[in-house]
Amino acid sequence: MKRDDQKIRNIGISAHIDSGKTTLTERILYYTKRIHAIHDVKGKDGVGATMDSMELEKERGITIASAATYCEWKDHEINIIDTPGHVDFTIEVERSLRILDGAILVLCAVGGVQSQSITVDRQMKRYKVPCIAFVNKCDRNGANPFRVIGQLRSKLGHNAVAMQIPIGLENNVQGVVDLVGMKALYFDGDSGDAVRVEEIPDHLQQEAKAKRDELIDAASLFSDELTEAILEEREISSDLIYAALRKGTLQREITPVYMGSAYKNKGVQPLLDGVNYLLPNPSEIENEAIDLNNNEQRVVLSVDPEKPIVALVFKLEDGQYGQLTYIRVYQGTMEKGSTIVNVRTGKKVKVGRLVRMHADQMEDVEYLRSGYIGALFGVECSSGDTFTSPDVHLTMISMYVPKPVISLAIFPKDNKSQIAMAKALNRFAKEDPTFKTFVDNETGDTIIEGMGELHLDIYVERMRREYGADVSTGNPRVAYRETITQHAEFNYTHKKQTGGAGQFGRVAGYLEPISDAEFVFENKIFGGAIPTQYISACEKGFRQSMAKGPKLEYPVTGVKVVIHDGAAHSVDSSDMAFQAAARGAFKEAYLKAKPVIHEPIMKVVVETPSEFQGSVMGLLNQRRGMIIGSQDEEVLCVIEAQVPLAEMFGFSTVLRSATQGKAQFTMEFALYRQVPQAIAEKIALEVAQNKKSAA
Amino acid sequence: MMIKKEIIYRNPLLNLGYDHEDILPVGGFGAVLAHAGVGKTAFLVQLALNMMLREQSILHVSLNDAVSKIDLWYQEIFHDIAEKFGIADVHDCWDKIQSYRFIMTFKVISFNAPKLEERLSDLMEQNIFKPRMVIIDGLRFDEAGRGQLVQLKELASKYSMCFWFTVHTHRHEPPQDNGLPYAFLHIADLFNAIVQLATTGDEVYIKALKGGSAAPKDLLLDPATMLIKDITPQKGR
Repeated sequence: MKRDDQKIRNIGISAHIDSGKTTLTERILYYTKRIHAIHDVKGKDGVGATMDSMELEKERGITIASAATYCEWKDHEINIIDTPGHVDFTIEVERSLRILDGAILVLCAVGGVQSQSITVDRQMKRYKVPCIAFVNKCDRNGANPFRVIGQLRSKLGHNAVAMQIPIGLENNVQGVVDLVGMKALYFDGDSGDAVRVEEIPDHLQQEAKAKRDELIDAASLFSDELTEAILEEREISSDLIYAALRKGTLQREITPVYMGSAYKNKGVQPLLDGVNYLLPNPSEIENEAIDLNNNEQRVVLSVDPEKPIVALVFKLEDGQYGQLTYIRVYQGTMEKGSTIVNVRTGKKVKVGRLVRMHADQMEDVEYLRSGYIGALFGVECSSGDTFTSPDVHLTMISMYVPKPVISLAIFPKDNKSQIAMAKALNRFAKEDPTFKTFVDNETGDTIIEGMGELHLDIYVERMRREYGADVSTGNPRVAYRETITQHAEFNYTHKKQTGGAGQFGRVAGYLEPISDAEFVFENKIFGGAIPTQYISACEKGFRQSMAKGPKLEYPVTGVKVVIHDGAAHSVDSSDMAFQAAARGAFKEAYLKAKPVIHEPIMKVVVETPSEFQGSVMGLLNQRRGMIIGSQDEEVLCVIEAQVPLAEMFGFSTVLRSATQGKAQFTMEFALYRQVPQAIAEKIALEVAQNKKSAA
Repeated sequence: MMIKKEIIYRNPLLNLGYDHEDILPVGGFGAVLAHAGVGKTAFLVQLALNMMLREQSILHVSLNDAVSKIDLWYQEIFHDIAEKFGIADVHDCWDKIQSYRFIMTFKVISFNAPKLEERLSDLMEQNIFKPRMVIIDGLRFDEAGRGQLVQLKELASKYSMCFWFTVHTHRHEPPQDNGLPYAFLHIADLFNAIVQLATTGDEVYIKALKGGSAAPKDLLLDPATMLIKDITPQKGR
C-alpha cells in the first residue's frame, strides 16, 4: 500500500433515487480499471452493476446497503462508499457521511434538485462534508445542467459554479468543455475510455469564455494571488484556479459542478480529476473523539500512523466467511496480529484478516493506516462501535439515530424458518440501528420496527432470500404514543398483608404534561416522609408505567412526575412496595390527566407534472394530510404536506395510478401529533379487538 | 388564547386608525411599501398570523422564496411573539392554526392571474382550502403593469378575498408628495390601504399612506415580531 496521505480520498456518492449514482460508480470503477466490463443497474445482461452486490438490489434497481470499494485514479487512491438514495435508508447515508471526507452530489439534469437531494444535502451539512456536484443524465430529453446549477443555488443555497459547459445535450451529447483548461473533451471508444482533447468548437467559444470568467470570479474570493492575477491581467494558470477552488470547496463555500452522462460514458474521467484536485485528503479534515478517561472531553484525532489506533465500525455484513466489519481508521495503524479493544464492550480482540473491499470482492492487506477504509474478519461487534489500542479510551462521537415509526409482526412458517429468522433478525439489528426487533409478550409475535414501509419490506425480503426463512407478515402497525394533557394529583397507598412479610408504601404528588422531554421525575419530599433509600424505587415504578400507557397500552411520553409526600413502614416498606405504589399512583392520576393518543406525522414531498397537481393534492387531503404548500417549477410542481403515517400505506400505488406513473414521492418522519377524536376511537376499537383475538 | 390577544391588541394597522380588524373589504387591495430588508414579508406574516388566530384562511404566494423558507418565516415570527409574551402552549397553538395557511410559490416570470386562479380552483373545488386573504410577496410592480392587477382584483371579488402585496421601493427613487414612489402612482387607485415601513437606525416605523386616519405620529414596531412596540392603552381597554 502506498503511503502518501495527500493522495487519499474517502468519498461518498450521494443523490436522489434514480439519479444514476450506481451507474456513475460503475463507470468510475471501469475507468479506474477495477472492473473490466460495464453492466447496467437493472441487470439486463443478468450481471448487474458491480456495486449493487445484494441480489435484491440488482432486482429492484436501487442501492440498499452502502458497498465500500477502492480504486486508483492518476496516482490517487480513492475509497468510494456507494450510498442508498431512498429516504427509508438514510441511516446508511448518514453513516457513510460520518466516515467520509468528501462527496459527489449527483443530480439529474432533468429532475434537478429533488426532495431527496435536499435531505442528503442537509446530512452533508450536519457532518460538514465538502462536496462537488455532478449533473448526470445530460443525454435525457429536457436536460438542462444550468437550470440544475440555478436550483443548487436557490434551493440548497450552494455557491454552485460550473466547471464545464456541455457540448451537445439530449441525444446529441458529445462531450464537455473544460473551463479551467479551456479545451474540449470528447470520450471515444465503445465505453468512452479514450479522452480526446481538442480546441473548443467555434460556436461555444463565447459561452465558454463567459462561463470561465464566472468561474474565475467565484474562485478569486478564496485566493488573493488569483485576484491579483486578474487585476494585473496576467495569464491565469490552471493550478492557481484549482488551488482557489479547492480552498473554497474545503470550506463548503463553493460547489464546483461537473456534468455529463454516466450511462453514455461522457464526463466521468474529468469528474475523477475533480475528486483528486478539489476534495480533501484525510489530513485536511478534523475528526474528533470523546475521551472517556477525561470527563468525556473532545479530542482532535491526528492522522499520525504512529499514534494509538482509533477506528470506527460503520457497517457490518454477513459474508460467506463470516461477519465482515467495515471500519475507517482515524488514527494510528491497524496491523494484522495487533490487539485492539472494543470501547463499548471493553473486549480485547486480535486483528486477524484485514481486507480492502471492492464491492463483494476483497483484497488481503497487512495493515490499514489512518485515513483508510477497510474491513476486518471474525470480529464480534455492532455498527457504530469504536476500536482503539488498549492504552487509550476514546470513542468516536455517537451518530444520530432516529426512532422507528412503523412496526410489523412476522410469522415463521416452520421451525427451520424460525431459526433462520432469528439469525437474520440478530444480524439486521446489529447492522442497522434504525431496525429493531422484539417479541410482544402478550401475543408472542415477533415484531420488527423501522423507518418506513419499504425499509421493513426490504428486510423481510432479505430474510427470505439470504437466510431462506419462509415468513409471512401481519399488517403494518403505526407506533402510536400516549401522553397527558393536564395536571392531575395522586395519593396512593400500596398495602398488602397476606401472611409473611407485608408490603407498604404511600406516594403522593402530581403528574403534568411536558413538551421537551419524554420523562422527568422530581422529588420534592422534605422531612423524610419517604425515606431516601426508596426514592429511586419510586422513580423506577413511574418509569415502568411509562412503557405501557393505561389508556391504550402505547408507550407514554411527555410526563413530569413530582412526588411531595408519602409514608413508609419500618418493617413492611421495601423497594418492591414503593415500586408498586408508584405504579398504582401513576394509574390513579393518569386517567384524570386526560390522556390522548399521538401519531407519527410524516413530511411527504411529492414531485408531479403540473397537470396532476390538483389530483395529488386531493389524494393528500383524503389522507388527513395538511398541505404546507406547493412550489411551481415550470413543468414540475413540488407539493409538501404533513400526513399521518397511518394513512400512507399503499400511497405509492395510488399515486402511480393517479399520475400515470409520472409523480414520485419521498417521506420522512416529521413529528408526533394528537390523533383526532374520531380516529382515536377507531384505534381504541382496534386495540380492543386485537386484545380479544390474542386472548 | 394569550398569544391571540397580544397579536390582535398589538396589530399595527388597528393602531393606525383603520376601522376594523380585517381592514380590507372583499375584493380590496392593500400594499406594504419598504426598501429591501426592512421587513415587508415579516410584516405581512404577522398580519397573516393575526388572521390565522381568528380562524380565517390565508394563502401566501411567494415569487422569491421556497415553501420551506416561507414556512420558517411563520414559525420564527410566531415563536418570537410567543417567547416575547411568555406563552407556554406554543406547539399546540401552532398546530391548531397551521392548517389556516397555504403557501404557493411561483417563478416570477411564470406567475400570472390565470395561473393563480387555476391553482386556487384546484384547491377550492376539492374543498381543500379557501382563502379569505391572499398575500402576494415579490410581485414586480414596474413590470407587472396595471392589466395584471386588474385581473387579480377581479379574482379577489369573484372568490370573496382580499389581497396584500409587498412593494419594493428603491432608495434612488425619491417619493412623491403623497409619499408614494413614482412607479406606483399609476396603480395606487386600485389600493384601499397603503402603509409604509421605514427604518431609522435599528428602529422600524410604520406610517399610513392611504386609508386609515392620520396617526398622530409614526408607530414604532418591534423588528422581531413586527408588532407595535410601545402601546398606549386605548379607551375602554
